[in-house]
Amino acid sequence: MLDWEVIPIPLFGRKNKEKKEEKKEGVSEALKGVLYGFAVHGAATAALKTRMHMEHLFMLMTLGDMLGFPIIPPYYSLKILPYVVPNIKSWKERLFRERDFTDLLSG
Amino acid sequence: MQVAFLETPSLWIIGALVAYGFAYYVYAKWVDEHIWEVSEKKVTPAHMYLDGVEYFPVSRYVLYGFQFKSIAALGPILGPFIAVAYGWLPALIWIVIGNMFIGWVQDYSTIMLTVRNEGRSMGPLVYNAIGERGRKILLAYLLFYLLIISAVFIYLVSLFWNVFPGSFIATIGIIITGLIVGELLYKYKANIFGVTALAIILTLISVGVGTAVAWPPKDFFGPWSIQVWSIILAIILFVGAIVPLPKFITPMNFVAVFPAIGGVLLIIFGALISPATGMKLIQPAFKGWYVQNVGPIFPILFVSIACGAISGWHSLVSTSTTGKQLDVETDARPVGAGAMLTEGLLATSALAAYMVVSPDLIAKGKISAFVNGATLLTAPFLGGDASKAYLLTFFSIFLVIYAITVQALVTRYWRVFSAELFRGSWEWLGNKYVATVIGLILPIIFALTGSWINLWIYFGGSNQLLAAMALTLVAFYVAKMNKPSWYSAVPAAFMTIVTLSALLWEIYTFGLSTFGIKKPLAKPPLTQYPGAAWALNALFFVIGIVLFVLGIYMSYALWSAYFKVRKGEVEAKAVSP
Repeated sequence: MLDWEVIPIPLFGRKNKEKKEEKKEGVSEALKGVLYGFAVHGAATAALKTRMHMEHLFMLMTLGDMLGFPIIPPYYSLKILPYVVPNIKSWKERLFRERDFTDLLSG
Repeated sequence: MQVAFLETPSLWIIGALVAYGFAYYVYAKWVDEHIWEVSEKKVTPAHMYLDGVEYFPVSRYVLYGFQFKSIAALGPILGPFIAVAYGWLPALIWIVIGNMFIGWVQDYSTIMLTVRNEGRSMGPLVYNAIGERGRKILLAYLLFYLLIISAVFIYLVSLFWNVFPGSFIATIGIIITGLIVGELLYKYKANIFGVTALAIILTLISVGVGTAVAWPPKDFFGPWSIQVWSIILAIILFVGAIVPLPKFITPMNFVAVFPAIGGVLLIIFGALISPATGMKLIQPAFKGWYVQNVGPIFPILFVSIACGAISGWHSLVSTSTTGKQLDVETDARPVGAGAMLTEGLLATSALAAYMVVSPDLIAKGKISAFVNGATLLTAPFLGGDASKAYLLTFFSIFLVIYAITVQALVTRYWRVFSAELFRGSWEWLGNKYVATVIGLILPIIFALTGSWINLWIYFGGSNQLLAAMALTLVAFYVAKMNKPSWYSAVPAAFMTIVTLSALLWEIYTFGLSTFGIKKPLAKPPLTQYPGAAWALNALFFVIGIVLFVLGIYMSYALWSAYFKVRKGEVEAKAVSP
């Protein structure tokens, strides 16, 4: 199972002002960031979304009976349950978030 | 050969840099601090809804690169080609003023709108301002907008392939490089630096092979060459829209990035050192208020440069992705305003390429003007005459990749969009194969007339009308925050008038041919089929009216909402906590 809470996004943003002050951002870091954004960030975001959709399917197959879809027998669901439990909250949040047609632009 | 500084494009590039610096460091900073009152301590949606997929904080440098890549397309490069028909001075004035007072305002402010409204994208923001009907009208408007973009870009790529021998082979080389890179990166987990080096080398070899082979020649497929090229392009785009993104589009875009960045840097450098290389301004500064086959300077100049000055597409990017990944509010200025002003610099550099070519090329509407101008600017420091053939192919590829990478995403967007739109009823229209084919066939039919300048003005008009809507929306929310909204309302009013006038002008132009007052606008071989040419002109006439009516409705609804807030009929309150 994928741990959605800890995803290693390269060049993760600063969290607060103090952290910014601690770390002097050099020119090379800026250039690296710009190049990454220019060339890879869109692809990385698209890959994350593809993974999200696959994760939704997986959760639906394993925990479908939570929503009224008994796709695999409850015995197997129960065996998988301990591994799936940590993801239920974030899965629900993502699945039930309202998406507009203008959100589709991002992949 | 050295020439006087004042006779070269260098002075104007430096002047534009100073103007953009003023816009960024003075005006944008003032808006940032006094109107939006940004703070690093306010929680952004990226942190509030952190899910690692849509919402996660990203470094401002990464977002700047992403934003620039997402907004830069053919607009700032080919737009000045139409604008320079009035002379380079009006084009330069509009690029600089448009960027300084309108362009960045929209990009920056729409990011802030999303940040201050819990990560909402354009649709929900419109819904909150004017209700469900407004959101539906926006959906219909975007549908036509995507078709017009596709028609223009598909036609132009086909035209480039037809006009520049060898550019098709080089494009195929880049696509194959993309496929190899995709496999190496995603399947074999190869080292990114090694793969990047390989991508650059293969891209340069592709351009070299295209230059050496220089095949197929112009009009290879006879009088229907452009249409045959359109079908070949449609097949490539179809594959791009159907297969998973990491298999085709994302690696192709990754490979295309390097010639795209390289080309921009080379042109800017070439323009800056033009006093040393002897490249003189040979275009007239001003040619006239009216240009045959293009139209009057007002409103056409203001929509022709499109994304080089302001673009509605940017508001979609800003609200759908960038605003959701902004780490801290203070990053909105470098990301939104910074990326837009960089695009302004790209437009200014493209204009420099047009400044140094023969006025005949512009007068005859030769699409090769940019490629020739860019080659003239860069050849003197890249090997002189010996490198000209290579550079001609390189800059033709430069045009192709800026169009094809955006078009691949637009086609895919259309497909996803149709699936969403036809969910429940007419479901077969949302089928991924059917939707993609429709999204490609309709633009090809639109492009049959060959009157790409008129299509471009439709594209510019609808694109910038979307920008006017975004600016009005910003004014509405800023007024709701009890802050001065003039900085967005004044540009919004100007752009609303300009874009609706431009659409009216094109409706009038196609109306003349629809009602038999003038011959239909068409180029060979369609001129041999006057009935078909007339039908297409009539279709454009109808599309123009539809865009105009939808635009009028949206503008009226948004402005009404804005004035209601101003009059206090809607409770003004701070949008953010």
